[in-house]
Amino acid sequence: MNNMITSSGSQREYTPSDRIQCDAFQQMCEATACVQNSALKRWKENGGKVVGFLCSMAPDELLIAANMLGFRVRGTGSTNTDLADNYFTNLNCTFPRHCLNMAMEGEYEFLDGILYLNSCDHIRRLYDNWKLNIDTEFIELIALPRQTGPDQVKFFTEEFQMIREKLESHFKIKITDDALRDAIKLGNETRRLQRRMYDLRKQDDPPITGAEVLTVMVAGTAMPKTEYNVLLRELLEELEGKQGSGKEYRARLMITGGVLDDPKWINAVEEVGGLVVADGLCFGGRIMWEDIDETIEDPIEALGRYYLADRPSCPRVVDKQEERAEFTANMFKEFNCDGIVGAKMVFCDQWNVENYMLKSDMHEQEIPFMSVEREYITSGTGQLKTRIQAFIESLGK
Amino acid sequence: MYTAGIDLGSATGKCVILKDNKIIGSRIAPTQAHPTEMANRVMKSALANAGLSSVNEISTIFTTGYGRLNIEFATENMSEIACHAKGAHWMIPSVRTIIDIGGQDSKVISVNPDGSVDDFTMNDRCAAGTGRFFEGVARGLGLDLAGISALEMQGDEPCAISNQCSVFAESEVVSLMNEGHSFPNIIAGVNLSVARRMRGMARKVGVSEEVVMTGGCSKNDGLVASIGKMLGAEIVRCPTDPQLAGAIGAALFAKAKMERESAAA
Repeated sequence: MNNMITSSGSQREYTPSDRIQCDAFQQMCEATACVQNSALKRWKENGGKVVGFLCSMAPDELLIAANMLGFRVRGTGSTNTDLADNYFTNLNCTFPRHCLNMAMEGEYEFLDGILYLNSCDHIRRLYDNWKLNIDTEFIELIALPRQTGPDQVKFFTEEFQMIREKLESHFKIKITDDALRDAIKLGNETRRLQRRMYDLRKQDDPPITGAEVLTVMVAGTAMPKTEYNVLLRELLEELEGKQGSGKEYRARLMITGGVLDDPKWINAVEEVGGLVVADGLCFGGRIMWEDIDETIEDPIEALGRYYLADRPSCPRVVDKQEERAEFTANMFKEFNCDGIVGAKMVFCDQWNVENYMLKSDMHEQEIPFMSVEREYITSGTGQLKTRIQAFIESLGK
Repeated sequence: MYTAGIDLGSATGKCVILKDNKIIGSRIAPTQAHPTEMANRVMKSALANAGLSSVNEISTIFTTGYGRLNIEFATENMSEIACHAKGAHWMIPSVRTIIDIGGQDSKVISVNPDGSVDDFTMNDRCAAGTGRFFEGVARGLGLDLAGISALEMQGDEPCAISNQCSVFAESEVVSLMNEGHSFPNIIAGVNLSVARRMRGMARKVGVSEEVVMTGGCSKNDGLVASIGKMLGAEIVRCPTDPQLAGAIGAALFAKAKMERESAAA
């Protein structure tokens, strides 16, 4: 018998903070719901430096070792792209538009620096236009290889070393190997805690929804890791041993795709009965599935190796498509999913090609896969809900 | 026992009441209000149409369409994809391909022999080439939708339409008028451009020899003819109002649920 989606429920816009009442989770909700969150403000008030980055392949641990807060730049809260539209072509996606627009409105004045990678053409244009329009004093571009062999790892490690030296000379600091090793330990601690949270999702009736998990994951990119780890431990203590989120669902779904930081989008999926229990997102599973190797002697090499080659990759990397398909299929099975939704941004070439291949790879293994397009800011979820509901119905759920 | 389906679309609300697999009441009304109010309105007048006095006489009610969520008196809701497939299959059991063009979206659905959804494709976000687009075209020509229908079979040299954007429809049509094209040719061009688009979508899920069209735009004869020609398929006309397909499907799902429950009881 199907779980019914009854017609109760409020018309009010979803906020993740509604359900889990513990203080740690509420603080994470705040960090995810806006750009300038309280933890960030406290950090700045105490004289801390903040360096932003646009891509999950940026070396956060390098910033931690420099005693800085690494902040993953988002367009959260942006309502329009009127200022930024003049600097992009019609073929650029809405993520860089919203980020630049917010920066042009002064929302990113708190940044002491920003690290770019040429993650895709859209981010690359954002780098150009950020340089043109925003006076962040330290702006650097890290060259990102397309393949992941030993030569490329060596090159990427050298790029990180160059950034390390530039940070040292610009901010007049020293980033020691020991500090880097400590930062790697701290980052790995975060990853372990996040994986513990993901473990909870394997249950038949998980105590946490997909929208709530994304909230926790995004918060981890917006506040000091020391503070975040404490909150996450508190949250885990609250949730472990509990069952059920009160969310009725018909199917267990996995989401794959690029930049998705809005719990409201996941909630739209969950409102029509698709509980999101796993993901291959760069605000989710992909950034914590593997640890940075703590046994490699040179910590900067450990970073280069991890960020380019050792963690689940993004379609920007061209020699690992088979590995990504395997990662996706394994996660699908491990979390007992019923179907996969490939969420891609309009105009994202990388995920467009990836989803096409992923769909046929999954088809071969009889894993249901549906691709949907989205814009960066979630609005008008009607079509999305129809597609997801039809997908769930087609799963026989 | 009665069951009902309510299809709360972007342009119109539809309600169908079934008894013993027959439609005994139905209603189509323009969407002008909050989904709950629309649901109440179409339900009330479909009840009157069926000669029933109260919604309490309906045992099971399913909703579908954009406004399907959060309707208090509904038992359950289903996606319009499943409902259009079910409704079209009920009208024409041999159907395997359905083209549904509504007020703001268009879908191509392939259907299994039992009426369940095999695969589907749907337009992305914007309302290009849907009911809203035709409304914009009509405004540009200074006509209403009926006025378009009256002229559409007369065009023999369809104009090239470059833009199906509902927002730009009016200005596109005005420039064609300024260039001296006749109304029938402009309308033929509009139908052809939508037909081309539907062919693209239909290719994705595959087309059977017989195609059924549902949704408000399937009442547009010129468009139906254009799509048939473009697909090289026969468009089978529905015996019942094709705009009701979604609501019929919802009512049938309600009926199936009612029967399951009484069998269990």
